[in-house]
Formats: sequence, C-alpha cells, structure tokens
Amino acid sequence: MAKAILYDATKCVACRGCQVVCKQWNELKAEFTENRGSYENPKDLSPETWIKMEFREIPRNGSVAWLFTRRACMHCTDAGCVTACPTGAVYHHDLGFVAYDKGKCTGCGYCVDFCPFEVPQLDGSRVTGLGRIDKCTFCTTHGLDRIGNGLEPACVKTCPPGALIYGDRGELVAEGNKRVAALGGNATLYGENELDGLHVLYVLTDSPETYGLPKDPKVSAAATAWKDIIQPLGWAAGGLVAGGLLINLIVARARQIRAEEEK
Amino acid sequence: MQEVERYKLSTRVLHWIVAASFLVLAITGLFLFAPWFSAAAWWGWSGVAHRVAAAIFVLVPVLFVLFGNWSRSMGFVKEAFAWGKDDVEWFKAAPDYYFGGDPSRMPPQGHINTGQKLYWLTVLVASAILLATGVIMWFFKGIVTAEVIQWSIFLHSLAFIGLGVFFLVHFQLSALHPRMPESLGSMIWGKVSAKYAQSHHGKWYDRTSADQEAQEA
Repeated sequence: MAKAILYDATKCVACRGCQVVCKQWNELKAEFTENRGSYENPKDLSPETWIKMEFREIPRNGSVAWLFTRRACMHCTDAGCVTACPTGAVYHHDLGFVAYDKGKCTGCGYCVDFCPFEVPQLDGSRVTGLGRIDKCTFCTTHGLDRIGNGLEPACVKTCPPGALIYGDRGELVAEGNKRVAALGGNATLYGENELDGLHVLYVLTDSPETYGLPKDPKVSAAATAWKDIIQPLGWAAGGLVAGGLLINLIVARARQIRAEEEK
Repeated sequence: MQEVERYKLSTRVLHWIVAASFLVLAITGLFLFAPWFSAAAWWGWSGVAHRVAAAIFVLVPVLFVLFGNWSRSMGFVKEAFAWGKDDVEWFKAAPDYYFGGDPSRMPPQGHINTGQKLYWLTVLVASAILLATGVIMWFFKGIVTAEVIQWSIFLHSLAFIGLGVFFLVHFQLSALHPRMPESLGSMIWGKVSAKYAQSHHGKWYDRTSADQEAQEA
C-alpha cells in the first residue's frame, strides 16, 4: 500500500517547524542564513537542507496574497532520478516513495540533472565530481528510519497547524480532493496524476505555476532513452563485438596454422 | 633484415599516452554502465580519475599539435578523410582476409589501411563529441538548460559505445590477430620489416621507398 504526505497550503502558517525538525531528526547541519527581503531561508535546498518553506507574494484582487509552499522531494512514481540513476542507488521504496542508498552512489549527478523539480543535491564539488546524493528520504535513512518503525515522517509529526498529514496515498487523494472541493475557486490538488502520481500531494489555492510548481512535469526523454536504449545498446554492442572477435581469432588462428602446415 | 620506419618516437609516445588515458576513461566510465560495478567506483573517486584522464586525453594531443610539426599533424588528420576506390575493394575482401582467407584479393593499402582509417576517423569524431558533451557536463551545469545537460549525457554515452566497441576491434587486430604480427611492435619500436610493409601497406611502401631512392640519387 503506497503511503504519502498531504500538504495543505491553506492550513500552513509557514512556521518552518518542518524545516527545523527535518534537520534535527536527520542530523543535518544548520546553515548560515541571510536576509534576502523575505522570511525564506536558506537560499535553496542543499545536502544539509532537505525541506524548505517558500514564501510568495502574489497580487490578487487589488491586494497581495501571501502564499506558502513546501519545497522538498515530491517522491514521484515516474521518477527522473530513479530512471537516470545508472547504479540503482536511487530506487523506489516498497511504500512508493523515492529512497536512496548512498553506499551505491558514485556521484555522477544524473539524479540532479534529470529531476523535473531540481530537488536532489550533491554534497560535493562540481569540479572534482566527488560527492553523493542527498535529498528527503521520507524519513527512511538507515538507522534513522521512522517509517519502518511505525512512525510518521518528522515533518508531519511536528506540523503545529496540521498542514501535513501522513497516510495511505489513496485516502489522502480522496481527502485532498474533498478539501479542494470545499475551497472552490482556483483550488487544485497537485500530485494526484502528475508523473503517474506523486507521493507528496499539495492542496493549493491557485494554479501550480503560481506556487512555482511545473504545471505538467515530465521526465526528460533523454533519461528514458539512456536507460532503455543506451544501457542495453551498450551491452549488446559490446557483447556482440567481443563474441565476434573471439570467433574471428579462433578461426583466423586455426586457418593460419593449417596454411603453415600445408606449406 | 631490412626495416622501414613506420612511427616516429613522438607519435608512439602520443599514442601510448592517449591509449592509457583512454583506458582509464573507458573503465571509469563503464562503472556507470554496470550497476554491479558501482562498488568499484570508490565513492566517486572514479569520477575524479575520469576527469584527470580526460584532461590528459585532450591536452596531450593538443600540445602535440601546437608544439609539434604542424604539417605532420595535419597529415595525420588528413589521413582519416582520404577515401578512395581501394577502400571499397578493401571492405569486400577484408572479411575473408581477416578470417584467415586468401590475401591476394586485398587491394594495396596506404600508410594505414581502410580499417585503421575507419577507426582513426571514429576516434576523431567520437572524441570531438565526447569532448564537447564532457565539457558541458563538467563545467556548464546550472549555466545551460537541464535539457542540454540531459542530451549531453545521452550523446556522451552513445559516442562512447561507438568508440569503445571499435576499440575492441582495434585492440584485437593490432595486438592479437595472426594476420597483423608486426602491428603492435611497430607502435612500440617504430619499425616494421620491409616485407611486412610491402604486403600490408603496399602503396605506402612504394611511396616511401621511391622517396628514399630520390633522396639517395
């Protein structure tokens, strides 16, 4: 049974408790913050920041609407990172969300390049290429596994206004749709069908774009092409040629020897 | 036994530096193709090796061209693009020949034969693609769009498959094949026997021996 988190932007007060507790539970370092004219901090996700609240000021009905969103891994079903990961370090957890095994990560960074939400981060240098993936693990990090121990994710646990709920994905989709119907207007449920279903669902008061989310996220054809064409093609071509060469060597040697014997 | 110089020392040194860096690049790159190899990636140190080898693979030939004999370097490049009727004949006769068949049907070959020429052309073209896409993947993340990076990864892999597979052929024909007994030695010692030059690179042998006679006369 797939699990999910439902984030209700209309209930969120942007206290950023989820940001703090995520660092606390997952043992992530604090980062230096900087005033950029908003409560938003730090600047973006990083290897040490797996969730971050975003604040948007949108002109609406002659006034300003202050919109909050949660920026973290969306745990896609059709996940660009999982498709692109050459070593299987990034994979789908039994409960549907996207987990990773840092031990298998080579730091190639393809997960970063192929994520439609630009979520995964490499904890290393772009120049040397050293580094490994980091992102929200849905609280399943080895040794810090809340889900496996029957707990809800730390961000959900801490959320004071109850803007985050954890549960069976099917139930949360129904819950989200009910909420959207009650809100009316431009309200939408984001994540029900996007990328074959996200495991983090958003109740939004306006279009996804207003909240800085891609309207119709897609996994790049290049990712699928890499996994479905390049990898098999590489092995097939290499195998066929190696096999052909071996046959060639055996035949050529045998005929050469025969020719020498006949001399 | 009479011998003919086939590769100058600088050419041989260049060949082996490029060959060594290519092997490092190919093996560290292969870790990405083989999930069961990922432990060998050494927590990403294979990526560092890949970058160091890439710098050698690119810079050494560039220095060779810049500080070497310009017309000789251009001569090498031109070799890859000089195609003619004999090449067609070579393709017809080669499969039988390389499986140990009759050598008499092989058309006389230049300094490098048609197969070597095709490999050399592949090396030049694939290296250009690998270099361009590699530079994008290494230095242009966050500067170009995600799409450019994504298709660079695709092309980088595709070019590698072409080059890597052809490399296997190159390795066998130059180092293992009974028909090419002096090939590997020529890239190490620089010389082949006159007999080998005549039978394997007839056009080149005739040309060089004519030059030599002209010089001596």
